[in-house]
Formats: sequence, structure tokens, C-alpha cells
Amino acid sequence: MATALAAVPGGRDLWRVAIIATGAAAILAPVALVVYQSFLSAPFFSARARFSLDGYAFVLADEDFWVAGLNSVILAASMVAIAVPVGAALAYLVVRTDLPARRALETLVLVPLFVSPMVLAFGYVVSLGPVGFLTTAYESVLGAAPWNIYSMLATALIVALTHVPHVYLYVAAALRLVPSDSEEAARVAGAGPGRTALTVTLPMVLPSIGVGAVLVFFLGFELFGLPYVLGDPEGRLVLSTYLYKLTTRLGTPSYQLMAVVVVAIMVVTLPLVTLQRLVTAQARRYATVRGKAVRARLVPLGRWRWLAFAAIMLWLVAVVIVPLAGITLRSVVSSWGLGVNLADVLTLRNYAAIDSMRGVGRSIVNTALIATFGAALSVAAYAAFTLATHRWPGWFSRVFDYLVLLPRAMPGIVAGLAIFWLFLFVAPLKPLLNTLASIWLAYTLVWMPFGLRLVSNAVGQIGEELEDAARVAGAGPGRVARDVVLPLARHGLLASWLLTFLLFAREYSTGIYLIGPGSEVMGAMLVSLWSAGNIDVVSALSVINTVMIALGIAIALRLGIALDE
Amino acid sequence: MNDPSGRPEPPALAVDDLRVRLGSNEILRGVSYAVRPGRIAALLGRSGSGKTTLLRCVAGLETPTAGSIAIGETQVFDAGRGIDVPTERRNLGLVFQSYALWPHKTVFDNVAYGLRVRGAARADIEARVAEVLQGVGLGALGARFPHQLSGGQQQRVALARAFAYGPPVILLDEPLSNLDAKLREESRIWVRGLIKRLGLTAVFVTHDQVEAMAIADEVVLIEEGRIVQAGTPQQLYDEPATLFVAEFMGSNNVLHGRIAERRAGDACLDLGGLRLWGRDRSAAPAGATGTAVIRLDRVAVLERTGDNCLPGELESSVFLGERWESLFAVAGQPMRVFHQAPLAPGERFVHLPPEAVWIF
Repeated sequence: MATALAAVPGGRDLWRVAIIATGAAAILAPVALVVYQSFLSAPFFSARARFSLDGYAFVLADEDFWVAGLNSVILAASMVAIAVPVGAALAYLVVRTDLPARRALETLVLVPLFVSPMVLAFGYVVSLGPVGFLTTAYESVLGAAPWNIYSMLATALIVALTHVPHVYLYVAAALRLVPSDSEEAARVAGAGPGRTALTVTLPMVLPSIGVGAVLVFFLGFELFGLPYVLGDPEGRLVLSTYLYKLTTRLGTPSYQLMAVVVVAIMVVTLPLVTLQRLVTAQARRYATVRGKAVRARLVPLGRWRWLAFAAIMLWLVAVVIVPLAGITLRSVVSSWGLGVNLADVLTLRNYAAIDSMRGVGRSIVNTALIATFGAALSVAAYAAFTLATHRWPGWFSRVFDYLVLLPRAMPGIVAGLAIFWLFLFVAPLKPLLNTLASIWLAYTLVWMPFGLRLVSNAVGQIGEELEDAARVAGAGPGRVARDVVLPLARHGLLASWLLTFLLFAREYSTGIYLIGPGSEVMGAMLVSLWSAGNIDVVSALSVINTVMIALGIAIALRLGIALDE
Repeated sequence: MNDPSGRPEPPALAVDDLRVRLGSNEILRGVSYAVRPGRIAALLGRSGSGKTTLLRCVAGLETPTAGSIAIGETQVFDAGRGIDVPTERRNLGLVFQSYALWPHKTVFDNVAYGLRVRGAARADIEARVAEVLQGVGLGALGARFPHQLSGGQQQRVALARAFAYGPPVILLDEPLSNLDAKLREESRIWVRGLIKRLGLTAVFVTHDQVEAMAIADEVVLIEEGRIVQAGTPQQLYDEPATLFVAEFMGSNNVLHGRIAERRAGDACLDLGGLRLWGRDRSAAPAGATGTAVIRLDRVAVLERTGDNCLPGELESSVFLGERWESLFAVAGQPMRVFHQAPLAPGERFVHLPPEAVWIF
């Protein structure tokens, strides 16, 4: 039967198979290695390693592990409880109402997405910590500050508020497709704006709210930077920080225990990621039903207008300005504490110190390199994978679609660890261990699901007929990609490159196990500097990192690239 | 048509028992047809009839479930023998309904693409593209981009691109549907003239029977994945094989009745006592229901009765500028009649020439 001809990859599809196989290997190898290691009694390169369940026994019997797990769940749940309503409300206000400065706000509300979580965490500590700027200012006027930045409540609030944009993105996209007449009908029937929003508009975008909720819960599980900086002083661990601390707790690298924790994390995240994929598909189906272009008439807020605006501004201040201002101030201050006069301690010494610290200086250069050339290479890889599965129906493509869920389920720190082990395990790769190559591979892997989606969106915009026309004229798939697909996807690929730049520049957890002399990157450097207590250099480096990211955003906006992916 | 060696020349395009099934949906149910070199064939049908699928199968953009396709002497598809030549090697031209001009390439580059892919020399490409653009009347527009051209000009570029590399057959998917009505009429003549002047073989898909008759040498009417009738435009219009063909090809009056008698290739339809003679196209026995079909413009209004005349009651008259159109009730069924002068009141008879009536 002729349909069978199409299903079996023929000779001319060999290049597709090769590319997909490479990608599959890159994804499965680290995961397989980690699972393998979890069932060993010693590090995999050790001669003593035997099959054993001791690792599982130890971790599962460790009370700290379960407490860390519980903390992760609590954080994730509180993120959902706070970020989802706030994000949905924010989306409604910005997209459907006559909020002042809507156009500017559409971009501003996405800013928290681009600041490094480590920088945010440091910012909160230096602003609102026991000797933070705002704390000391408060204490000098009003007495003891009522807040504790290291409390579980504070951590929960901060992680929730900083993840509002994630929910906002999904809900706003769905709200843009809702026709105004549904709301107008409610208003005519007598419902006020608040009631209309709650009973008519938001229920129509419930699937997108669901997607946002699952995403945020899952991100809560992956958190590392904020719980590390804010939870460590009180000894409060979450799963990712428990993993990080295993080495220091036991004194020796106990690979098998780390592997078990990784498996435990992924056992939770993998179903979550699959759930998220299913919910997203549902939401998309729901949205296309009402896919007609809609004329949006704005809901007038009346006297609530400026109040809503003020509330959003307050959120932005709390989530962006306070930490960033704090860390910037700390970076130009030689020391700080209660009773210190600001004017006395202003200095650029911290920046100068970076100059003398080779590793730190190298980290800036390396980050710039990875975020520019590395990101370009990554986008090229994503483009290759996208083109390999492009317009190629069959089980091979579908298997790859599911395989890509694996990196999604790996928090950065987990992926970095897995790549580290992979490079140890596979002899030919070992010399690359302390080079940027290992970091690049880890970054590309971690962000593959995101990057693939960006590139396939860009490629998917191209009308199928334009490719068919080239095929009829005699061009094979390679030529079609070169002559039609890639040139027309140029703008989308550029946008993907810029967004990947931003993601790589703010990355911190993936590199933790991979940095070494020569392969330092800023984010991971910040983690180890913080562990060493070097707050001066941490502040300066944080500012440099933020400036690098801000430059990237400025270029993206200048080139007209929409940041709402 | 024989070639010099005496063997009959193979058809430019031959499709044999082609079937396409999508899930439980049978889109093509065994289509066989051959187009001789130098002929223009129209695949005519309604939406969903399978005509576009047939065209895309020939181009290799869709894969049939059974059957075979040959272009000249080359077998490009044969389900039984596992042959499926990929699109890029079939050497056909295809004009897409939306033209599918590459927006990032100039007119010149669009037309030159097929030649470039085939590795032609630069000088040859330039000469050929200039010649082709001249041939479609766009000689001076090579440096423009598609969005800078009008719809009619884009259509010509799409056509030029399709035959620039000299394929033996060019395919056109609803080539005139994107043009406005006035342009469509001018385009019909122009497209046929161009194809004939270049000596091309062409197969095009359309849902418009007038377009099919105006451009094609032979019309293939497809319905529900099968060929209903194939022949010259006159054959399909004047000698429809089935009721469906008769109704599809023109605007008709339709009368329902019972078949009363048959005589030498003619049949008589009984309309509640009134008798109407016409050409026998029905296989049903006497006494079964039958349908009489006559083109609107063949019906006349008379003041006295005669051969094959039916008494009619005038219901309404409208003036349409170039003629009057009146609605009559004949044996309780509506009939539309054209006439030049307004009708004075009085008894009327509707005359249907028996040679213009088909009884199905």
C-alpha cells in the first residue's frame, strides 16, 4: 500500500533521522547516566561501584529530604495561590481595561522575567535583610522592623510575586482573543465591571489560567536561587538546595545520593511537564475556536483607574525596583550596617576588585561569549532539529516531541550535574570538562524545549505553499530550507537568538557543577561567591549582569522584537 | 498522433485507477485519464469533488493509496510497484491558487529559481528569464518584488515561473479565482492563447464551468472522486451524459414527471396529462419518474400552442437590461423564460424544442 511508503523513512530522509538521533542521544544520555548512577553503590567511575539500592535507602530515610520536599511543595503551592490570581488580574487590567499607559505597561510587566533570580535574591537581602538599606532606614525612624526576609512567608511572597509575569503571559494572550460583545452583553444586563470580569471574561480564559497555574507550580519545584539565598540562613532547604548541599553535608561527593535526589525531583517534574503539555494543547484548541480577529472595546474602570495603576506600579517597585536599587547601591558601598552613614562609604572599589579577581573577570567574558556566540550556535541547533521534523509526519517526529519533555523536566542544577557526569563518563569528552563547551551543551539542553518552540513558531509562520512551490520547481528539502524557509524565518530566528541571549545571560543554576578554572560564568560565579560570603563582589557582579541583560532587552526592543514569548 | 518512428506518442500525462483515501474518507475512487501532448485539460468539479487532490497527486504533493501516474514515458507513481518519485524530481510546473510567489525574491529570481536549481549557466538563465517575462508581458518588471505587483501581474509571474524550465506538463490550481470578475474574462483568453502559443500541455483545476469551457480543449467533470463525463466543451454542454452533468454545465429549467413512452431515441415525459418530447437519456423503464432538462436560453414564449408546447401561467416579469426574464408556472412547476419585448397579457404557451430537451 502506498501509504506505507510515506511512513518508513526512505533514503532521502536519512539526514532527518541523523539529526533527530543526535538530539535524542544528547537528551537521553545524561538522563540515562543519572538513573544508572542512582542504582550504584559508589561513583560510576569508581572500581568499587556495584548495583545497590543503598542510595535510595539513605535518601528516603533522611528526614531532611522529606522536609525539603515538603518545603518545595509549600513554595510551589503558595506560588499558585498568589501568582495566579495576581497574574490573571494583571492580564485583565492591561489587556481589557482603559488602564493608563497600557502600551508601556505591556512591556514593563515582563521585566521581572529577565532579571536573574540570584540578583533578585541578593537585592532583597541587601534591601530588606537584617542590615538592609530599607531596614536600617525603617529602624532609624520607627524602631524594630516587623519583617524577616529569611522567613518562609517572605520567601513564599517573593517567589510568588516574581512569577506573576509567567501567568500574565498566558492569560493575556487568551484575553486578546475574547470578543468584547460578551462583556457588553453582561454590562447591558446590569453587571458592573468587576462582576463582568469575574463571571464572564475570566471564565472564558480558564484553560489559559490553568496552564499558567501548572507552569508556576512546576517552576516552584525547580526553584534554586531564591530559596538558597533566602532560606539558607535559617537552614531551610528545598529539593534543589538539598541536592546542592549533599556534598557539604557528607563531606565527600556522594554521587549515588545526588543521583537519587535527581531521580526523585524528576519523578515529580516529569508528570507535571506532561500535564502542562496536555493542558496547553487543550487551551490552544479552546482558543482557536474563537480565533476571529476581534475589535476590542476597553472596559472603563472609572474611579478605579488610577488605583489599579498605582497597585501595578507598587508591584513593579516591590519586584524590580527594590531589589535592583538595593543591589546597585550595595555595589557602590564599601560596607554597610546599622548606623553607617551612606555618604562615607560610597566607592567604586568593588568594581575595581573584580578586575583583580581573574576568575570573576573571566566569568564576565565567558558569559558574554556564551550568550552571544553560544546562543547563536544553540539557535542553529534548534533550527536544525525543527527543520528535521518540519512537515515530516510519522512516529519518529512524534517520539522526538515527547523526548523534548525530558530536558524540560530537568531543573538547571540537575541538568548541569548530569552533563558534568556525562563528560566524566564518556572518555573522549573528558578534556572538554572545564571548557565552555560543557556549559554550552548544558545550556542548550536545558533551554531546548523553549528554544525549539521559538524556532518552530518562526518557521511555522511560513505558508506551506511557498515551500511546495520550491519543491515543484525542483528543489530538494535541503534547498527548500536554504532558499525559502530560513530566509523567510530570518526575523523569527533573530528574535529567538536575542531571547536565548537573555536566557543564557541570566542563567545561574545550570553552571554550578560545571564551572572551573577557565569555564566560569557569571550566574554560577555569583552562587559560589555568595557561599563564600563575598557580598561586595557579589553586588558589583550582579549589577554588571543586570546591565548586560538590560542591553540585550534594549537591542531587542529597538529591533522591534516582541518580548511576549 | 505518431512520432517519426511510427510508434504512437505516449500521452503527456496518464493517470490510471488513482485512489486516495484519508482515514475513512475516500477522496478519489478510481480515476483514469490521459492527456495528449499539446492539449489543455480542465478538471472541473464542485468543492470536495477531489479535483484538487488529483492535481496535487500528479504534482507529488499528496500520495495516492492506489493507482499509477505517468508523465510522458516516465512512471512517477505506481502503488503496486512501490514507485513514488519525489515532487522535486517530477519536472512539472505548478501555478498555485494563491500564486505562492516568494516574497523575499524579485520577479526575476522567482522565475529563475527552477533554472538555478537545475544548474543552468548564468548567461542562459538571464536570457531565458528575459524571454519568458517578455512572453507574459512583464519584460520590464524583473527587478520588482511580488508585493509591488497587481494581482493580474502576480498571476503572470506565477505562470512564467511554472514553464520557465520547460516542463512537459504544467498544472494550474484555480488559476483565475483570485482575479476580479472583469479581469477573469480577459485572462481566460490570454491564458489559453499563451499556452497554445508556447505549445505547452496543461491541466488545470476549476469549479467554474464557463472558465473550463473557455480555456480547455477537453473537460473532465469530476464528482465524489469519480469522472462523471469527459469530452470537449461542446460534448459536455450539448450532450450531457447524466442529469448531474446537464445541471452542472449550464443554467436550466427542470421539469419532473413520468416517462410515458419511448420512440427511436426519444422519450416522452408525462406532466400531469401534458406531454413533452425530448432526447432519451434515461435508462429507467416506462412509468418510472423522469426529469426533463432544457437550457434556459432555448425556451421560447408563444401566443399559440404548437409542437412540444405547454400552457403556462405568467407569475412575474423582470427587466434585466439586456433582456426580460419571466417566471411561468407550467404544470404546477416553475419555468424561467427570456424574451426581448415585454409580454402583453393573454394566454401563453412555453415552447421547448424537442432536440434541446433531455429526458433523464
